[in-house]
Amino acid sequence: MMGMGASRIRLLKWGGQTALYLALIVTSIAMLMPFYWMVSTSLKPEADVFVTPPKWIPNPITFVHYLEVWTRLPFARFFYNSVFVAAMTTIGDVFFATLAGYAFAKLKFPGRDQIFFIMLLTLMVPFQVNMIPLYKLMDRFKWLDTYWALIVPGALSVFGIYLMRQYILSIPDELLDSARVDGCSEFIIFWRIAAPLSLPGIATLAIFTFVGSWTSFLWPMIVTSSMEMRTLPVGIALLQGYHTTNWTQNMAGSTIAAMPMIAVFLLMQQQFIEGLTAGAVKQ
Amino acid sequence: MGRRLVRAVKKYYVAYLFISVPVIGMVVFLFIPMISSLALSFCDWSGIQSPTFVGLANYRKLLFDDPKLIQAFINTTIFVILGQGSGPIFGLISALALNQKIRFRAGFRTIYFLPYMTSMVVVATIWKMIYSQGGLLNAALGGLGLPTTRWLTNPNTALLAIIVASVWQGFGFETVIFLAALQAIPREFYEAAMIDGANAWNRFWHVTLPGLRPIILMVYIIGIIGSYQVFDQIYVMTGGGPLNTTQSIVGHLFSNFTYMKFGYASAIAYILFAILALFSYLQIRFFGREE
Repeated sequence: MMGMGASRIRLLKWGGQTALYLALIVTSIAMLMPFYWMVSTSLKPEADVFVTPPKWIPNPITFVHYLEVWTRLPFARFFYNSVFVAAMTTIGDVFFATLAGYAFAKLKFPGRDQIFFIMLLTLMVPFQVNMIPLYKLMDRFKWLDTYWALIVPGALSVFGIYLMRQYILSIPDELLDSARVDGCSEFIIFWRIAAPLSLPGIATLAIFTFVGSWTSFLWPMIVTSSMEMRTLPVGIALLQGYHTTNWTQNMAGSTIAAMPMIAVFLLMQQQFIEGLTAGAVKQ
Repeated sequence: MGRRLVRAVKKYYVAYLFISVPVIGMVVFLFIPMISSLALSFCDWSGIQSPTFVGLANYRKLLFDDPKLIQAFINTTIFVILGQGSGPIFGLISALALNQKIRFRAGFRTIYFLPYMTSMVVVATIWKMIYSQGGLLNAALGGLGLPTTRWLTNPNTALLAIIVASVWQGFGFETVIFLAALQAIPREFYEAAMIDGANAWNRFWHVTLPGLRPIILMVYIIGIIGSYQVFDQIYVMTGGGPLNTTQSIVGHLFSNFTYMKFGYASAIAYILFAILALFSYLQIRFFGREE
């Protein structure tokens, strides 16, 4: 009897495990399939896109759509714009947010906590509230349809200052004080001690800012008007108006836009997930 | 007085220098626009002549005289309720599954998270193709002998189709957050509950859920604020159609912006702000305390 019970429990456990893996695998397929379909469509001849039954494996495989979007359509330019804007936004944001985060965490000055609190309050304000006056401001600065409008407002992030302040708070004061006794200037202390010690935090902020800028859509759409200034998401969205039926080109463009972020994520996964979940685990 | 000021400046100028760029940026790119936008919401302005003050006319219009906005508000609310009613729950279920003793945990987590790393415009473009008449979804349904439709041009299905794509894109974020939170719940809590004879359901109800409470609150505040601002995927997939059945609040704001009705668009923005502030306040008020 005892043996029967144990084997039944083992069988139940095995069944549960199998069901669990089955559910995970089925949902994983559902998550990956649209990506597969994107890449697969981008490699098909246009005539094979909507055939029944669907052609899962492109045959023949053609790279002509990538060539088309890269040379005939301005995707090379979109790609360059996206890279440049995301890189500049990230550099600006990371530098100034770390510097300010250091000041809020480790320096004492009148009004520090009040200024920080007001900054945090602005996190509550949805972007759309500022959008129209910000647009007119860009117009006044003559920044519309230039990189300035694409980069500068995005390089200011209260979230980044908050993140870096929290990170820098954990650096022991003694370390900074001993450098002060040695006569180092505050910027040198920041640059040589605080910044290197907050590298994991900096990496997290850098990834968040880069991804945010790379995927951003509404603001880049309204502040750019010429094809030369569009970023990848804006380019992909707007070309659909003109090439509604050209799915192969659309998917080639989409693959070009999606792959760098997926690559970045696969390479820096640990960093990214730790940054994302730091708040969750601390509580 | 003067000397004290000089001494204070000498003592503190480095700190002020360090925060100067973000503070100036905040004033120029956040505060001034925020106040201008509030002022604009009481004006009529097409951006060319100077704005003319119209009092509460914009607010009166959006409350009583703009059926498209009411429709957009209803659509957005449906989007929020169905999206937030399912996305975080999928996130929790998948996190609970991944929290078991399984192999390839990191691999599955990565797969669920991939769409979140992808631009919403790209996600919407892929799904637009899948939903199209000759697309993959109809091919699958047709193959099973089920009815097919043009998902994004059928007024009965368009909003739902957008919600499905949005949940697909976003729930991996919640999976990752919930999984980290689950792993942070101390094992001893579960062991103590086992000793007390609690079954799996009791352990979930009395240990897991209370442990996740602050994270659930955070996920919902972020989720509701984010979903009320939905725009990108709708712009790409339907442009607000068919018959305004998928138009969102921000979509309506955007179309007023493109018609250069800046005053009215600002009033919509402030109404959106008020809705979000109210929701955040209520959530923190009713679910945030008791600890």
